[in-house]
Amino acid sequence: MDNKEKDILLEVRDLKKYFDTPKGKLHAVDGVTFTVERGKTLGIVGESGCGKSTTGRCILKLIEPTSGKIIYNGEDITNYSSRKMRKLRTEMQMIFQDPFSSLDPRQTVMQAICEPIYEHKLIRGKKEVEKRALELMETVGLAPRLINTYPHELDGGRRQRIGIARALALNPKLVICDEPVSALDVSIQAQILNLMKQLQKELGLTYVFITHDLSVVKYFSDEIAVMYLGQLVEKAPSDELFERPLHPYTQKLLSAIPLPIVGKKKPERSLIKGEITSPVNLPDECRFNKRCDFRSEVCLKGNPQLQEISPNHFVACSRVHELM
Amino acid sequence: MKENILEIKDLVVHYETDEGCVRAVNNVSFSIGKKTILGLVGETGAGKTTTALSILNLVPNPPGVIKNGSIILNGVDVLTLPENKLQEVRGKDVAMIFQDPMTALNPVMTIGEQIAESIMLHGEKDKEKALARAKEMLEHVGIAASRSGDYPHQLSGGMRQRVVIAIALACNPRLLIADEPTTALDVTIQAQILELIKELNRKFDTSMLLITHDLGVVAEVCDEVAVMYAGRIVEWGTADEVFNHTLHPYTEGLFNSLPNLRKRGEDLVPIKGMMPDPMNLPEGCAFAPRCPYAVPQCEKEVPELIKRGTHLVACRAYEDGNFKLRRNSNG
Repeated sequence: MDNKEKDILLEVRDLKKYFDTPKGKLHAVDGVTFTVERGKTLGIVGESGCGKSTTGRCILKLIEPTSGKIIYNGEDITNYSSRKMRKLRTEMQMIFQDPFSSLDPRQTVMQAICEPIYEHKLIRGKKEVEKRALELMETVGLAPRLINTYPHELDGGRRQRIGIARALALNPKLVICDEPVSALDVSIQAQILNLMKQLQKELGLTYVFITHDLSVVKYFSDEIAVMYLGQLVEKAPSDELFERPLHPYTQKLLSAIPLPIVGKKKPERSLIKGEITSPVNLPDECRFNKRCDFRSEVCLKGNPQLQEISPNHFVACSRVHELM
Repeated sequence: MKENILEIKDLVVHYETDEGCVRAVNNVSFSIGKKTILGLVGETGAGKTTTALSILNLVPNPPGVIKNGSIILNGVDVLTLPENKLQEVRGKDVAMIFQDPMTALNPVMTIGEQIAESIMLHGEKDKEKALARAKEMLEHVGIAASRSGDYPHQLSGGMRQRVVIAIALACNPRLLIADEPTTALDVTIQAQILELIKELNRKFDTSMLLITHDLGVVAEVCDEVAVMYAGRIVEWGTADEVFNHTLHPYTEGLFNSLPNLRKRGEDLVPIKGMMPDPMNLPEGCAFAPRCPYAVPQCEKEVPELIKRGTHLVACRAYEDGNFKLRRNSNG
């Protein structure tokens, strides 16, 4: 499909972020390209160290990308100054994994939610700001009686609701969610996921949802990108990815999910061998080849790029046509 | 009747703090048979870890106090043993592995030495022999013996957890307690470690208590499942019984909360509200305020575990012989 037909809010083009380490260049993010449609959710999945959080932070320019382009709402923001970014940050917000360490322990719930509004001078006047904060508390399901409580008095689910209220305080269009429910118990996780979904419908939010939890990402995303060692190895609409995973890594990753099923209908698991290799000084070959069951000589000749196998289904594997 | 490695009866553990009494474990009874893997499932604060620590008599005191109960491990009540006898039991009869493999290992000792240390603490006098056995253990958990001279920081998270498992199994304990052993690991590494745990359970005939909040992990490795809520066991049965013939409304709520891999886009069905404050438990069933099936009598009296064959449930709704959970009536 042509990009012009879609309403693209965010485009990331060949994004790279390298870190200099004593051992050499660490390729945290290495040529990532994707687009996110307005009002939709892109899920980025991968294991620890694959570069998914770094990608999220680069989009918000919380860290400077090494190269590549970030296009937000049609504007190239890659080289925006921090002052220009500051204005834009009202539209782009982030929700973090650990709602405890992302909140100031000395701020009450009310202060925490008012802070971004004061900071960006969105509304003037204490009364008005506090009115808005109370509205936000209602939106995210926090009882008004909690306004004077401190984070340590609240459980993880409520703390994450504060995190969401703070992100929403500035009426953002794009919200980057970095493992927003990973620290929560399942029954609370379900409450927060429902809330985020409902807010998306009501406010037309666009999400980039970063997680290692494949069942959460499937539930939540319209499209899923699978990351391995700094690169996307597969990208497809959610259902397609789960029904027809094509990259050997995606297949193994899906097969590794422990399913809450006992007895019948349980699919056979196939384990992935070895562990993720070091992202420092990578050779020009398929990054997954050492753990891949289908490795052959062609895998050592250059690093495969994403190619469109069927409409909207992209795979980076040199042998994908043979393996289909 | 099969032989039980562990039998816990009427265990009550409180944490007596300045703010009040935290009733962490309230009258818990269960047993683990030979070679059996029992999964203890529940959310944060359900009392899973406190129960596990009680088995080793390691509940931090103060503030923790074991108020009541007996814990018979291999025929001996660990709660009546003096400290020096306990030291022998720990490691030899029962070993524990924790969630975070980095903090469980000594950063300035090689992994071989750490495994050998536990072997020597439990009887082996010859250091060479202990080190040789340590290398053997490394091979058992899938690490090349040649790496026994490595330090923990040289290993990845998955390999560190393998070392912790090797230390725990080095003295061939009858019971292994694993407290969220794979929670800190990536899903592909988690799958490897779960496979290893199953394999070692068969190879060493070790019984196991696996504590987890992840029902997927339970389905993967456990023979039996006990579900804990607010310091009590609310349901206990074989994995098949608990997963396919669920009896307790809380267990049903947990299953409903899981994002379903097959159906997308539908709203999740969370359990409303939150677990009650263990300092301030309700008088009756602790789950009643969140339970969609609750009737007034639930709030008056704590339900006892009742037997339905081998499957136990603590819920008064079953006093009505026709009661069925929605999960079961839809097939």
